[in-house]
Amino acid sequence: MSTSAQEIENLISQEYKQGFVTELEADTFPPGLDEDVIRRLSKVKNEPEFMLEYRLKAFRHWQTMNEPDWAQLKIDPIDYQAISYYSAPKSKKDKPKSLDEVDPELLETYKKLGIPLDEQERLAGIAVDAVFDSVSVATTFKGKLKEAGVIFCPISEALQEHPELVKQYLGSVVPVGDNFFAALNSAVFTDGSFVYIPKGVRCPMELSTYFRINAANTGQFERTLIIADEGSHVSYLEGCTAPMRDENQLHAAVVELVALENAQIKYSTVQNWYPGDKDGVGGIYNFVTKRAECRGRNSKVSWTQVETGSAITWKYPSCVLLGDDSVGEFYSVALTNNLQQADTGTKMIHIGKNTRSTIVSKGISAGKAQNTYRGLVKVAKSAENARNHTQCDSLLVGDKCGAHTFPYVEVKQPSAQVEHEATTSKISEDQLFFCQQRGLSAEDAVSMIVNGFCKEVFKELPMEFAVEAQALLGISLEGAVG
Amino acid sequence: MIAAEQSAYSYLSAYQDLAPSLPGVDQPWLQQLRAEGLAAFAERGFPNIREEEWRYTNLSALNKTVFAPVAEQGIDAAWLQSYRLEDAYSVVLVNGRYVAGLSALSGLNDGVSVRSLAEVLAQNPAALAGKLGQAVASSEHNLVAFNTAWFADGVVIEVAAKQQLDKPLQILHVVTEANALVVSRNLFLVNDQAEAEIIETYVGSADSYFTVSVNECLLGRNAGLTFYKAQLEAAKAQHFGGTYVKQAPDSRFAHHNFALGSLLARSDIHSDLDKASACTLNGLFVASGRQHLDNHTRINHLQPYAISREFYKGVLDKKARGVFQGRVVVAEGAQHTDSEMNNRNLLLSADAEVDTKPQLEIYNDDVKCSHGVTVGQLEEKSVFYLQSRGVDAETARNILTFAFANEMADKVENAELKGLLLQELLARFPAMNL
Repeated sequence: MSTSAQEIENLISQEYKQGFVTELEADTFPPGLDEDVIRRLSKVKNEPEFMLEYRLKAFRHWQTMNEPDWAQLKIDPIDYQAISYYSAPKSKKDKPKSLDEVDPELLETYKKLGIPLDEQERLAGIAVDAVFDSVSVATTFKGKLKEAGVIFCPISEALQEHPELVKQYLGSVVPVGDNFFAALNSAVFTDGSFVYIPKGVRCPMELSTYFRINAANTGQFERTLIIADEGSHVSYLEGCTAPMRDENQLHAAVVELVALENAQIKYSTVQNWYPGDKDGVGGIYNFVTKRAECRGRNSKVSWTQVETGSAITWKYPSCVLLGDDSVGEFYSVALTNNLQQADTGTKMIHIGKNTRSTIVSKGISAGKAQNTYRGLVKVAKSAENARNHTQCDSLLVGDKCGAHTFPYVEVKQPSAQVEHEATTSKISEDQLFFCQQRGLSAEDAVSMIVNGFCKEVFKELPMEFAVEAQALLGISLEGAVG
Repeated sequence: MIAAEQSAYSYLSAYQDLAPSLPGVDQPWLQQLRAEGLAAFAERGFPNIREEEWRYTNLSALNKTVFAPVAEQGIDAAWLQSYRLEDAYSVVLVNGRYVAGLSALSGLNDGVSVRSLAEVLAQNPAALAGKLGQAVASSEHNLVAFNTAWFADGVVIEVAAKQQLDKPLQILHVVTEANALVVSRNLFLVNDQAEAEIIETYVGSADSYFTVSVNECLLGRNAGLTFYKAQLEAAKAQHFGGTYVKQAPDSRFAHHNFALGSLLARSDIHSDLDKASACTLNGLFVASGRQHLDNHTRINHLQPYAISREFYKGVLDKKARGVFQGRVVVAEGAQHTDSEMNNRNLLLSADAEVDTKPQLEIYNDDVKCSHGVTVGQLEEKSVFYLQSRGVDAETARNILTFAFANEMADKVENAELKGLLLQELLARFPAMNL
């Protein structure tokens, strides 16, 4: 390889560009978790009675559970009593009516992230429900969405204004006792997004939430609930960046999607949380439970994710295909560098007749990172003519990293057709040579090949995200090859 | 759970009486191995579905019967003859015990020794020290632990360096008694540049029994071992057969696994590959009725330049359940590894199930690894094609299913064994008389 070791060293050791801390006074609970904290949290948020019961039920269940240990991950023990479970920016009482009233420092934060809110309005394509720590501080494009009948608001607001909807659907996809982190989230979640698309409505714009983890020692527990009623359509974008911190921060989110008859939900994620420094110090623990239920006939859910950040990722966006003819899709690019670890994949549970699912997973592992695909395709006896195609490819960059593939295929229906393919290889010397021969630098050649490797997934992303994703990949990977 | 505890307890209390009679009591190294196995079994009993490697195979049925070792009994020679290959040496283990009288070893060349494990442990135990328990440890799982504590006999085959077995050697594992506990431990030493072909055949004239067989194979440099396993156990038998291999540099190991019998069977084939060695694992499992056939393989690429190829096929009918778990691990430093794994399954009935779990675990970048899995049914077009040529639908399906399975039988180079396997296969797809 032509690139000198020094150059590579420089490129690999690039600082995390999005790392900074915003100085904001925060109204924060002291660290610790017990039933009183949950009661207080529920009270602070002025929640209906059923929510408190829901939280307490989850908390009691959580206390009986143990952290999952089956993943191909090395996790330092987490002290759940050392985390503060609530943190709100001061301006909570008098919520801003427009962007002018928003704390300028906060706006500055978004600017540094390259998401200037004040420009968003003009861009008109995206309504941003920005979550800063745990309380939503700005919501845009409400008016236009209201016209269409779409409800897009923080889940805490939905609990005030649409308690019946929340009560009906919350926890119906991911029950309180589903797994350790989901139970914890159900007990202590502070905020997140709520989306309801009424019957027959095609959401007029792409919905987007940007998450930030800010105040130190604050675990963030997001809760997202999206309901697409009969014949509706929505595309939801989720993007994440976090400031540089030395302490491991826990993020245990839960995302629930419900698609009724003929409804379609497209959920895209670009995740670029702080991965820790090159020695593996710091970084976000990203333990997320994402699940969708295609409840109606002909419904469709599509997950697309680009995972480049976090010290540890433990995430399996899943589809339960209940309705006949429903479709589940999962497109993923997971990149790990340095000492990052990722154990990610999907579950496709086929229950309805003629259900189809596609899984395309691309894992890239560089440095000393470990990247695992773990997926389940389950075809129940009732799922006649179910169809699945799974393709998971891994690319290895460097001889200290690891790439693992653990697919599970369980079929109880003879008319089902299930295919799984996986390959693991490194970037071919021939390809690199070919590109360099045509005048590309080794860096550009690697970037080009990796982008080509991921193309199948990137083409599923909305335009804005596709650009961001490619840039992220470039930053995370450039020079990792030698 | 209580059943499991009771069952483990009854095995452990029976072990008190059994232990003094087991071979090698005076060998501290063997006693150490046995003690480890016994301790592991005492702690957790038989493997259960909470263990990742056992999640698809429930052994709780084992807890309903307490199987006990039996003494050697008379055997129906004519019946046994139908499984015996003509053009091969043979060793017969009846209920887990080596029976010299039934074995046919005349003409064996000097460099090859075939002996009873109990006999070697009585006469020259030092020869086995450091070899027994080298390819697999009790920590693997509790059936290996159980085998290590309980084994009373088995066969030890050693091929000296640069020597060759001139004919295949067939090992007939025969069970004649109902509720028998058949535990055998076999050791295969194929030294540097030696070659051998081994054919294992598991049959039973009794109805229900429990086989726990463990093979350890140690291959020297540039040695070659071809191993066939024909698992034709009785319909209600429970079978565990593990083959654990350690391959020295440049060695070649090929295993052909045919799992056709038993109510519940689990096969383990694990191989550790040293530099530039090659490993081929082929397998076919055909299950019907309420059969449950689990095939577990693991290939550890520990050093550079090794090649592995794996191909398993499954045919599941009626209420049968098939499991394939294949794992390829490429260790750090095992550059230039080349590995392929393939598993294809045919589901023939609405009540059949297949669970497959191919795994790649790679700690290295300069590798070429792939795996593929398919699950499906017979192509309607193919059935229609045959029907349009005047073949009735049932026959058409049988022809196609047989053809699917036959691909694996075709890979068997030993013509006589192939004949035996085809006969067994054809019996499972009747109505093919054209």
